[in-house]
Amino acid sequence: MGTTVFTRSLRDRGAQELLGAVAVGLMLLFGMAVYADIDVSFYYDMPPAMLDLMGISDQVGGTAGIAYGAIYGFMGALTLAGLSVSIGASSIAGEERDGTLGLLLGNPRSRGRVLASKLAALVALTTLGAVVMLAVAAVAPDVLGVDVGTVDLVAMMTHMGANALLWGMLAACIGAWSGNRTAASGVAAGAMVLSYLLASLLPLFDGGQAWAQWSPWYWFSGHQPEVNGIDGRWLAMQVGVTVVLAGNAFVGLDRRDLRERRGRTTLVDRLRAHPMTKQVADRVAGSARVSSIMARSTADHQGLLVVVAAIVFSMGMVYGPLFNLLPEGFTDVVDQFPDALMAMVGQADMATAAGWLQGETYSIVMPIAFLTVLVSVGAKAVAGEEEQRTMGLLLANPVPRRQVVLAKAGVLVLYAVVLGVIAFAGVAIGVVVGGLDVAIANVAATTALVTLLGVVFGAIALAVGAATGRTRWATMVSTGVALVSYFAWSFLPLSPTLGDWANLSPFDWYLGSDPLNNGMDWTDAGLLAALAALLVAMSIPLFDRRDLRG
Amino acid sequence: MTTPPSPSTGTGPGTGSATGPAIRTRALTKHYGDFPALVDLDLDVRRGEVFGFLGPNGAGKTTMIRTILDLIRPTSGTAHILGFDSHADAVEIRRHIGYLPSDLSMYPRLTGKDTLAYFANLRGGVDWGHVDALAHRLSAQLDKKVGDLSSGNRQKVGLIQAFMNRPELIIMDEPSAGLDPLVQQEFQQMMREVAADGRTVFLSSHTLSEVQRVADRVGIIRNGHLVDVEGVHDLRSKAIRRVELAFDAPVDAAEFEAVDGVRDTELRGNAIMLSFDGDMEELLAVATGRHHLVDINSEEADLEEIFLAYYRDDVAATGSAREQARA
Repeated sequence: MGTTVFTRSLRDRGAQELLGAVAVGLMLLFGMAVYADIDVSFYYDMPPAMLDLMGISDQVGGTAGIAYGAIYGFMGALTLAGLSVSIGASSIAGEERDGTLGLLLGNPRSRGRVLASKLAALVALTTLGAVVMLAVAAVAPDVLGVDVGTVDLVAMMTHMGANALLWGMLAACIGAWSGNRTAASGVAAGAMVLSYLLASLLPLFDGGQAWAQWSPWYWFSGHQPEVNGIDGRWLAMQVGVTVVLAGNAFVGLDRRDLRERRGRTTLVDRLRAHPMTKQVADRVAGSARVSSIMARSTADHQGLLVVVAAIVFSMGMVYGPLFNLLPEGFTDVVDQFPDALMAMVGQADMATAAGWLQGETYSIVMPIAFLTVLVSVGAKAVAGEEEQRTMGLLLANPVPRRQVVLAKAGVLVLYAVVLGVIAFAGVAIGVVVGGLDVAIANVAATTALVTLLGVVFGAIALAVGAATGRTRWATMVSTGVALVSYFAWSFLPLSPTLGDWANLSPFDWYLGSDPLNNGMDWTDAGLLAALAALLVAMSIPLFDRRDLRG
Repeated sequence: MTTPPSPSTGTGPGTGSATGPAIRTRALTKHYGDFPALVDLDLDVRRGEVFGFLGPNGAGKTTMIRTILDLIRPTSGTAHILGFDSHADAVEIRRHIGYLPSDLSMYPRLTGKDTLAYFANLRGGVDWGHVDALAHRLSAQLDKKVGDLSSGNRQKVGLIQAFMNRPELIIMDEPSAGLDPLVQQEFQQMMREVAADGRTVFLSSHTLSEVQRVADRVGIIRNGHLVDVEGVHDLRSKAIRRVELAFDAPVDAAEFEAVDGVRDTELRGNAIMLSFDGDMEELLAVATGRHHLVDINSEEADLEEIFLAYYRDDVAATGSAREQARA
């Protein structure tokens, strides 16, 4: 019944589900290996609220408690459920958005049958993810030679899988009723996170336990299945709600008109439609947005910028005060970290405020955030318009190709500056609030350097995109170069003979001078800026000389 | 080769930069790897005419247009637009042209009006009264987002975009896609007005009836070769007629096939239908000699049939496909 729809859905999403499960599994292996080498008892000195939020069970204790708890019970559960939400939201609403549902229903298949196949695929994929995670979890202790005591992995993964399925089904149900994929994934993901918070935090208050039991996440985590095994009552609740949601999806889909393929109506659209706000909104979203190539292109990636900027800002703000909350023995613990692990954060001295900031934010989080945004902007700069097939129309205007490249490079720099200012504000607030012994000028310098680093990799993406017209290549090449230069900077210094090569890495120009302690290194900043400018300059002839694609 | 005349900034009628042909290509060739998409194309499009560029899918129409617009570069040969070199003066050329690509894509999140404003800004302004008039004529919806429009309504935005600056030369690739017949008529009227204004329209199409209605001359391209360029009227008058001869008794088709210029005979009861581009007297002699001719009907073939005649045989000929088809 509906096997083609079922198998196609499996094929479309199978790789994603596998990748997610394998990634979490690898994190477990890595985490377990690291935790096995160090004394982890300090973890259990953390307040219970923290432990609960991180999914760590003091009943399991030791390495296993942290590894299975923090990595599987928290990150794994969120990943598995997040994947299910994404699959569930796409099942009907995604096909509607792409305009393919009408095509599908043009075949002799009822809506009910299509939905049944889609939901079957959701169940199968979630099960697949849970089974892969279970397999990795089961072999990890043996592979690493770690004694984890008795942990009921089957019970944990059964409840975790049922939990993921419940949220996926919620998304599918909302999608079936509304045909709006964004609403389906947004509402389901929001409900999921809220439920997780309630299940973790409510029990800490007097009488909160009773309330927490209403939160579906509690049915998975509340009774600690890894210790207590499968609880029939809670499992029945999970399955029951999932079945009810599935039934609801059939009712919803059958009753309504299918949506036409349409773009989203954004807040700005509503403002432009309203007579009171029309004039202002028209000017900002309309005439200002289309005043130049740069202005129009700036509007392209706002969503990504807002999300990443919010993350960078809040993380920057949180890590400052957190430094004061570190337990006494933390420095000793860090001292025990293997050399390779410390290399990844540039051998930052975590006992000092500057080292803490570098280790927790500037060495990994900030570069990832800046590169996520700027590589995406750079890759789509030229190649994106070609793949969207708008470049031909654009170049039919009296605009030289050089001007297009420069406008797009301008967008790249603008995004970098906005992200840099927001990141600086977040970290600076955190430093001031936490009373950290780090000069604000040095925070500014370090943030400026990471901004330049982002521009460099964005410019690599721009250049590859300009040369090939392919965003995928642009993203892959710049990400690959970023990884290589990151590892060159972090790991080459461990080797006595190859250490000097690390100086060639842009990451070394960024953190090599220890700017959080020493302030701005103008040579490094100049190197980064010059490299970015060179890449943009190279992009012009690369784009100018070739045939347009598409 | 013409030397580029001094650039002019105006885009209105009569401020052209030269009096030579609107488009002139010489031995224009484009290869994609080993594949010859365009071979030795020599074409002159005169000023003030509507020129139809006809060919089946994959003949090289889009490649030719993208080459002369400098979106892709010729493997060899040259192209001049309004007297300017297609590569060296590409930006100057674009001041004077309007372009509508085939299979049009625009920015889905911009409204029609935003889209037009964007391109107008890149051109240093536009006469919005003219835009409104064009929108009215085509019944275009400019307040909706382009991504929400049907393909026909999106095409209207593209058409306005190509016409709005009153360009010297409008190049359009399959422009009627998705337009309903009423709008198509209005669009054809717009093209005629442009030509009457002394400006030039170059449109590629495989919709022969449209080209027949609006074009002054037609170029036919196939497998990257320009097969022929003719005036629509010459093409028609030279061309094949569809003849129906009715008798009082059945006749033998072979008898008529022996006549020079007869093809595609088809017997229907007592009548015979045939395509004919030979000497009518010869045909009538056969028809009346041994039979009793009851009725005769002769129709001028439309471009469709001429087109098919050109392409009947798989010969990559450069001028005399018809001769070979007849032989």
